[in-house]
Amino acid sequence: MSFLGRGPVAPSSAGPLSSERVEAAIQEVELVTDVFNRIVSSCHSKCINQRYLDGELSKGESVCIDRCVAKFFEANKRMGEKLQTMGAAAG
Amino acid sequence: MDFSQLNAAEQAQMSRILEKKQMQDFLKMYSNLVERCFNACCNDFTSKALSSKEEQCLSHCADKFLKHSERVGARFAELNSKWAPPTSESYSIHLASRVALRSHIKTYEYID
Repeated sequence: MSFLGRGPVAPSSAGPLSSERVEAAIQEVELVTDVFNRIVSSCHSKCINQRYLDGELSKGESVCIDRCVAKFFEANKRMGEKLQTMGAAAG
Repeated sequence: MDFSQLNAAEQAQMSRILEKKQMQDFLKMYSNLVERCFNACCNDFTSKALSSKEEQCLSHCADKFLKHSERVGARFAELNSKWAPPTSESYSIHLASRVALRSHIKTYEYID
């Protein structure tokens, strides 16, 4: 038995299909895919030179991408926290 | 993403759904790429054929975008393992949307 909220649990190999669990998993996949696509789009606009003189990423662009992704996650985290406090205050 | 909570039947269903979603995502990415590179590279309409400059630009654009996407993917995977959307966070977002819905409904109460 696990006392952690979502600790690792051995999957039951038998058992009926819980559409609820599958739906929750699908929602998580959709969320993550959406976030990924947005990061690709935003960081491309912000970091990549639009003149396309070369097919390779320059060192500057590479570094920019690394930082852009990190910052996006940071911003995402802050937004989540903000919504949490707003939700708790209004809830 | 952790799917260890799902049993075998659910996991099988999940992988079918995931496959379908991946295909859809790929097609979306493809059309997005075409539009992006077209907008950036093809701005001379004195001819209907692609000039060699435009062709080269499109080729570079595609290469660059795919390399960019790959790099973002790598960084994303590193950071995603640290950021897991926990249930409490999703619940608070749900709460926030209820708040928004409530205030939206309130504005309609005044309209009669």
